[in-house]
Amino acid sequence: MTQTIGHYINGQIIEDTARTQNVFNPSTGEVSAQVALASKKTVEEAIAAAEAAFPAWRNTPPAKRARIMFRYKELLEQNRDKICQLIGSEHGKIVHDAAGELQRGIENVEFACGAPNALKGEYSKNVGPDIDSWSDFQPLGVVAGITPFNFPAMVPLWMFPLAIVCGNTFVLKPSERDPSTPLFLAQLLKEAGLPDGVLNVVNGDKEAVDTLLTDSRVQAVSFVGSTRLPAIFTLRPRPTANAVKPWAARKTMPS
Amino acid sequence: MPDADLDNVVNSLLGAAFGSSGERCMALSVAVAVGDEIADKMVAGIKEGMKTMKVGAFSDESNHFGPLITAEHKAKVEGYIDSAKSQGATIVVDGRNPEVPQEFADGFYMGGTLIDHVTPEMTSYQEEIFGPVLQVVRVKTMQEAMQLINNHIYGNGTCIYTRDGEAARYFADNIPVGMVGINIPLPVPVAYHSFGGWKQSAFGDLGTYGPDGVRFYTRRKTVTQRWPTSEVREGAVFSMPTLG
Repeated sequence: MTQTIGHYINGQIIEDTARTQNVFNPSTGEVSAQVALASKKTVEEAIAAAEAAFPAWRNTPPAKRARIMFRYKELLEQNRDKICQLIGSEHGKIVHDAAGELQRGIENVEFACGAPNALKGEYSKNVGPDIDSWSDFQPLGVVAGITPFNFPAMVPLWMFPLAIVCGNTFVLKPSERDPSTPLFLAQLLKEAGLPDGVLNVVNGDKEAVDTLLTDSRVQAVSFVGSTRLPAIFTLRPRPTANAVKPWAARKTMPS
Repeated sequence: MPDADLDNVVNSLLGAAFGSSGERCMALSVAVAVGDEIADKMVAGIKEGMKTMKVGAFSDESNHFGPLITAEHKAKVEGYIDSAKSQGATIVVDGRNPEVPQEFADGFYMGGTLIDHVTPEMTSYQEEIFGPVLQVVRVKTMQEAMQLINNHIYGNGTCIYTRDGEAARYFADNIPVGMVGINIPLPVPVAYHSFGGWKQSAFGDLGTYGPDGVRFYTRRKTVTQRWPTSEVREGAVFSMPTLG
């Protein structure tokens, strides 16, 4: 009996094992684990956890949010060997290549450490008599990321550190081919001090993706993957038009 | 380009085409050689370099790249080699069914494959192979090479190899691709710039991570405020306010 890889919601590993799929070790061709494929209900629980965590996280000073990222960078470096093993065992890339990918990911955490500077806004005094004006950059709320198999550490690290340090809460749907790495990355961020619910991970397939794309609580989706998928993003209308919660942005990159 | 540093070209292509088994969106899958003289030398150099390439399990650090992600994907990549051959390309090195130790015999391995005389009409040119396959297209001029890129539906990454600064500068400035390398393979931007392809390689207005990432994950709010001094009161204004 192989291990079943679950989800990570509100700081806990959640088993939702009604549907599962094989995870392979491509180097041997053997099935190394089963990955749970989240139901719509499980994804909605993750979104609810992120939504509940948002008000307090939004009001946490950027410098304090960034401090967690400084600790996270150290933890990623300390766990480099373990992460590279996880990447290799499910993706198949050689450990030296995995180390390069991880380093590129860590560099995005380093960028996220500069959040107080990136978010400090713009200010104009005396735009009229006794009138001042400023722009600030507010977090969106619950945002989601959908990431591909080929960089199970780097591409998630492109997304959630920056989204979170900007004050958003996050639901990550990584590739179901190599789910152990992103799950471990999320647990490590809790160790760095991230409050529960700010980052959640749901493993899954089309059902999970569809839920993230159609749930009106999700303010933006960042996607990296095959260009076959974007048709879903561009053709699907937002089902619940909500004037104060617009579909903030959509984007996609081939990985 | 005909004046490129050939050793640099060969080493760059080996790493960028076959590293991570070509399963990178920025993998260098097509090399366009300007002129037959450099094309012949380049193909010979890559073929020679490929002899020392090692494919195998992730845990052996002496391997250069590992297996493909699934058996299905491996079969798909192998199919592109057949399609290129049937459509008239030359298979210089066929990496299918590489030798691996017995304990890894069921892994999803493919060695490096080199295909010459590929043309834009071929399926393997038009689609993303996402495997350890390097294709060579031969053209006569730099303009012809740039036209190939202009005509393609994707525009994620591209590189030029040359010693000619004028050519490199012209290429980088005019090519409709989001990420450009000059004598650099895999020009993935560092974390404090932003990643972003052009054309059908990206959807949405902003790139990923870096400054564009900050803009993506935030919404700008602009506040205009007045705290009038006690004796100043403004009457009703019906023209568009100019704050003056």
